[in-house]
Amino acid sequence: MYPILFQLRYLPWYLCAWAIAGVALAWILVITQGTNWNAALLFSVPALLVYGFMATSAYYICRSLPLANRTAQRVIFSFSSASLLSAFVWLCLCLLFNNLVIAIGLQGLGIAMTPQLIAVLFSVACLAYLVSLLTHDVLIAFENIRDAELKRSAAQVLARDAELQVLRSQINPHFLFNSLNSISALTAIDASAARAMIIELGSFFRKSLALSSNTYIALSEELALCEHYLAIEKIRFDNRLTTDIAIEPESLSAKVPPMFLQPLVENAIKHGICNLSEGGVVSIMSAVHETWLYMTISNPIDSQPSSAAGTGTGLKNLKARLENLYGDRVRMTWQKNQTSFRVEIIIPLDF
Amino acid sequence: MTLQLLIVDDEPLARRLTREYLAKHSDINIIGECANGEDAVEAILKLEPDLILLDIHMPRLSGLEVLEITGRSNGVIFTTAYDQYALKAFDLHAVDYLLKPFSQERFDEAIARAKTLQGVQHTNIPVLIAETRLERIVVRDRGQVQIIPLADIDYIEAQDDYINICWQGKSVLKTQSLSSLEAQLNSQEFVRIHRSFIVRLSAIKGLERISKDAQVAVLHNGTKLPVSRTGYERIKLHFVN
Repeated sequence: MYPILFQLRYLPWYLCAWAIAGVALAWILVITQGTNWNAALLFSVPALLVYGFMATSAYYICRSLPLANRTAQRVIFSFSSASLLSAFVWLCLCLLFNNLVIAIGLQGLGIAMTPQLIAVLFSVACLAYLVSLLTHDVLIAFENIRDAELKRSAAQVLARDAELQVLRSQINPHFLFNSLNSISALTAIDASAARAMIIELGSFFRKSLALSSNTYIALSEELALCEHYLAIEKIRFDNRLTTDIAIEPESLSAKVPPMFLQPLVENAIKHGICNLSEGGVVSIMSAVHETWLYMTISNPIDSQPSSAAGTGTGLKNLKARLENLYGDRVRMTWQKNQTSFRVEIIIPLDF
Repeated sequence: MTLQLLIVDDEPLARRLTREYLAKHSDINIIGECANGEDAVEAILKLEPDLILLDIHMPRLSGLEVLEITGRSNGVIFTTAYDQYALKAFDLHAVDYLLKPFSQERFDEAIARAKTLQGVQHTNIPVLIAETRLERIVVRDRGQVQIIPLADIDYIEAQDDYINICWQGKSVLKTQSLSSLEAQLNSQEFVRIHRSFIVRLSAIKGLERISKDAQVAVLHNGTKLPVSRTGYERIKLHFVN
């Protein structure tokens, strides 16, 4: 958006400045050419106001040459040709206007155009246009700095949201309380199973606390965390939950952000297995192709609309978090059909 | 007199625990266990238990939907691990619930309270259900539970004491008043266009004037529904021709 013309509070000041320049030009005409004040003002003030509008076109020229990729040749060529062209157009307009004033035959108005005066007007107009170009460059640079700052703070907010999401997924109250209830049941019927579940729960929470303080961990560690989680859920859901984990050995050492798989596994149970009376299989697959790690998590879903349908915020947050870490070198997609849900993630091995 | 009790919970261990807690209540007889909402509906209608221990989060149907379908409003103790939104509503209506994991003492307390209220109809459970914003409509039709996503519904018509829900060319009757359903629906998506009709806004193709001051709403499937004067006031903002 053009910064001066579209912000009404700047427009009067801008026009004022050019009107003052017009008075200055009139004064020069009076002194050097001996023109009378009325004629000089009638010529120079409208002429410079018009030029004020013409000079704003410099903004678009600056915009078309982004500061980041400029060559000296291109800048010199486009700046000088734009200046010459606009000075020429302006001069033609001035001469036309002056001749019109003379032709109407207003008493004592109109100024005598000498070749010297035309030369001076032309060069001053060229210079003025150059100044306009440079001023716009500075304005655009300021604008860019402000935009960059806005973008950076937006990215920071996103990163903090993702961080919060990680913290929240560590302590899913529903999971914790249901697990405690299962342990409470097991204490009377199978004490050693109760102990095993407490140990799994302890390992899961300890591991999730330890891992989430790192920026990157090995995929093997993330998988170990998911296995603790799945072991607990398998006790809770009994034979309703089965898993199919196919991990290519080369992918185990891949560096991944902590807690990137666990929320997906949790979703697969919460929105998939939980709603199926007969349960189902949660599949986790990983593979390495060239310099990329491919991960797939899929689960069956109830074909009927569920009362606990997700809103997709968890997925969107995870995607934002991955994009924050890898930029445009990450792909995360999810597809849902009548009976299944599937998430695919591709992240670079080298970064 | 022994009380007949039904356990409804999708986790086997949770059901085991309830059985264990009930072992010392010799005056309570466990007549069934259900692992999902649909089975619970059948069991409640068939066995007519005096008491129901009902989990809120279950496959197929939630605990509240089970009560809505069966029309059951007494002798219910809810069990749940954690649901901050539902619990707030429960507290408001003084409906009893057990938070997992719960102790034998807390369990006995809930049973004792349920016994004293035996046979007393709770008016607050229907109110609680009526205040819950719907995400889908559940109906029992000829022994089958139908789950209708709100987005599939074309319109709902009042017929005496029933409402007739029409979706994807099918229709089903439900015992409910049109006004109480209207209160449960999002007014941005569903609009009451007539004393007897609620329509999903995006199902409407356009309005048609049939006489000087009578309008009909034409749906995408070709159905034409009458629009009353107040209905027109509500709907015209969305369809300014």
